[in-house]
Amino acid sequence: MTYQKKAMLLSVIPGLGQIFNKQWLKGSLFLLLAASYFIVFFNTLNMGLWGIVTLGEVPFRDHSVFLLVEGIIALIIIAIGLGFYAFNLYDASQNGKKRDQGIALNTLREQYLTVVDKGFPYLMVGPGFFLLIFVVIFPILFMILLAFTNYDLYHSPPAKLVEWVGIQNFIDIFALDLWRETFISVFAWTIIWTFSATTLQVAIGIFLAVVVNQKDLKFKGLIRTLLILPWAVPAFVSILIFSGLFNESFGAINMQILASLGIDSIEWMTDPFYSKIALIFIQSWLGFPFVMAMTTGVLQSIPEELYEAATVDGASTFDKFKAITLPMILFATAPILITQYTFNFNNFNVIYLFNAGGPPVAGQNAGGTDILISWIYSLTMTSSQYSKAAAITVLLSIVIVTVALYNFRKTKSFKDEGTI
Amino acid sequence: MKKLLAWPLTFALAAGSLAACGPKEEEGGKEAGKEADKPKQLTIWEDKEKGIGTQDAIKAFEKKYGIKVKLEEKPMLDQQEKLRLDGRSGKGPDIITTPHDRVGPLALEGLIAPIKVSDETKKLYTESSINALTYDGNLYGLPKSTETPVFVYNKALMEKAPETLDELKGDKFGAEYSYLANWTDFYFAHGVLSGMGGYVFKDDNGTLDPSDVGLANDGGVEGLDYITSWYKEGLFPKGIIGKDAGQTIDALFTTKKAASVMNGPWSFQPYKDAGIDIGVAPLPKLPNGEYVKTFIGVKGYFVSSYSKNQEWATKLVEFITNEENSKVRFEKTAEIPPVVKLMEDPIIADNEAAKAVAIQSERGVPMPNIPEMAEVWTPAANALQLSATGKSDAQKALEGAVKQINQNIETNHKKK
Repeated sequence: MTYQKKAMLLSVIPGLGQIFNKQWLKGSLFLLLAASYFIVFFNTLNMGLWGIVTLGEVPFRDHSVFLLVEGIIALIIIAIGLGFYAFNLYDASQNGKKRDQGIALNTLREQYLTVVDKGFPYLMVGPGFFLLIFVVIFPILFMILLAFTNYDLYHSPPAKLVEWVGIQNFIDIFALDLWRETFISVFAWTIIWTFSATTLQVAIGIFLAVVVNQKDLKFKGLIRTLLILPWAVPAFVSILIFSGLFNESFGAINMQILASLGIDSIEWMTDPFYSKIALIFIQSWLGFPFVMAMTTGVLQSIPEELYEAATVDGASTFDKFKAITLPMILFATAPILITQYTFNFNNFNVIYLFNAGGPPVAGQNAGGTDILISWIYSLTMTSSQYSKAAAITVLLSIVIVTVALYNFRKTKSFKDEGTI
Repeated sequence: MKKLLAWPLTFALAAGSLAACGPKEEEGGKEAGKEADKPKQLTIWEDKEKGIGTQDAIKAFEKKYGIKVKLEEKPMLDQQEKLRLDGRSGKGPDIITTPHDRVGPLALEGLIAPIKVSDETKKLYTESSINALTYDGNLYGLPKSTETPVFVYNKALMEKAPETLDELKGDKFGAEYSYLANWTDFYFAHGVLSGMGGYVFKDDNGTLDPSDVGLANDGGVEGLDYITSWYKEGLFPKGIIGKDAGQTIDALFTTKKAASVMNGPWSFQPYKDAGIDIGVAPLPKLPNGEYVKTFIGVKGYFVSSYSKNQEWATKLVEFITNEENSKVRFEKTAEIPPVVKLMEDPIIADNEAAKAVAIQSERGVPMPNIPEMAEVWTPAANALQLSATGKSDAQKALEGAVKQINQNIETNHKKK
């Protein structure tokens, strides 16, 4: 049997393979780590695994939600442990291989240098990554797992236990009339909202940036400052003020502006159609300064020679815009523009603060302007439908994640860094 | 091939070892029938800025029984969320303060424990307030205070409160609006609907039946028609429809554009601060001669089910809500205790605002405390709004709302 195989087999108990390879310190360190892992985490793993499988057996003694949390922590600890275990096996086998080939193993000093030298980036990233596991991955796992339980008011610990129900929640969303109809109509408006509001804000932003960037325009600084103001005021303040401006019998838009033009009052808050128009208008107002600022930056970096050459070739102003300015802008800002779409897809603030998802629509579970995220909010807050809300969130995340992945894959700026 | 076999074997082994894990049963239960040991300390969560009303009672309790009581002030609506986490970790209180409409959900979750008190104790309080704190036949707490919307008027514009609501339709009292009420909010509108004969859940001798929603019966429809008439005749502006209505009404009243409003005791101080000389009275009668049956809210003290000294905690609740201590609390916080004897006491009977709230409380019904109530608010408010804006007639709007309430109850409140 080769050293490689022997070392690997011995490393089934972490550290023994390394000791067999005569790397005493590394071996005993691994052994110590493995032993302390089991001593320290035994209870956590025991309770956690039992908890995540059963979600508790006796009400009041077992709290299902806490058991689920402990279970996820146990799974994370196991994953870390398995990673370490795999590394231990790999290390033993690699060093055994070296012995088979008659290459001298690293001395203690060399081992230390390797760790510091090659492992340095990992050492630096390590703490951040560790934190990431608990603040990002952990909540996501919790939410996803929740979607497969029956956690709602009637299955609330400590008095009751939560149970695993498989994909029942997803089946309900599409099988029960009330859920399906509401889901489809809310989803449709969410898509329309995302595309119209975002496209409008991007178009306005680019248009204004190009206009303000004209060479012979005076007071550029002043004009830019004024245009950037909507961005400077906190959005929720602006939205609340807009909600007042659009008030049907007292708001300035109906009473002063439209009245002076001789137009009858429009039902901004109580008619779903006009509410939607108002919301798209408000979001465009809130969102264009960001696009404008970004586009202005890109415009400054377009080389003047391109335009001069185009002028020589006899291109009109519109041709120049179409063939030079717009492609340059879109090329540089496309990834950020796409995130604008995903941002509006989940834009809870403007929907909730303007009219709380209202006005009501007869025969529907959600308001006329509710988008998915605000609907989930009211589901959780008024009906305590935690598992259903989690299931809808999973569906919503699928959309967002798909768009985000596509976006990152298509974007060159992310691609180049991937190959280290 | 060997590898292929090895994996299932490993899993089988792992599963086998799993079966043996989990928590070990704790041994021994509580011995029944024994007087509970005196704890060293009890903790009580009081509403924010209301501790001043309970302090004296707590001192007296400490003296009488030799148990220390820790008083912590927490915003009332946050206490449920905090109890969920703190109770489990053992840092929670023995007693919490909460509005009665949370009793159903809290009891269902098992966060509060039923209490045992004598019938004499129960008789100290108005029947409606004890009903409000009862869920599924069990009493969960004792009442601290009660509140309900009343008729608030500007004394500079209106000499005295009218007898009927219809009187307010004719006279403008020198203001733009004679009367304003947030009647597209079901909390305020309920009084009219149920005064005319509608109801939310059928009251079956103190137990509410969530399968019988009576909002769309003849009385309910008549009530909504009456509400709609105020909007249709231009007596209510369209701007007081929807989520900002409350603020708009407050603004119109404090700028003297409205002569009177329907609002609760919480609004008295802000109105006075705005420089309005307010008068308070029970609500005027409806056109059918009935009183407006407003929703009553009852705040109470409840014993946490995590408390290790539930018997002593119950004793403390009884002590701080007895007649004497309730009276002190009323003096300090102006929140009206639903104690029968105090209602006739000059301290309340001679106080215009307190008396109005007390009388109106007797005419009202407790807001339902069963969890199904959560499904009522939005559909009911939608029906009110659809009718008030003329988008749908009252009958259709209410029938739609009831249908949706039933549907929501069916999907969200499956009891298993």
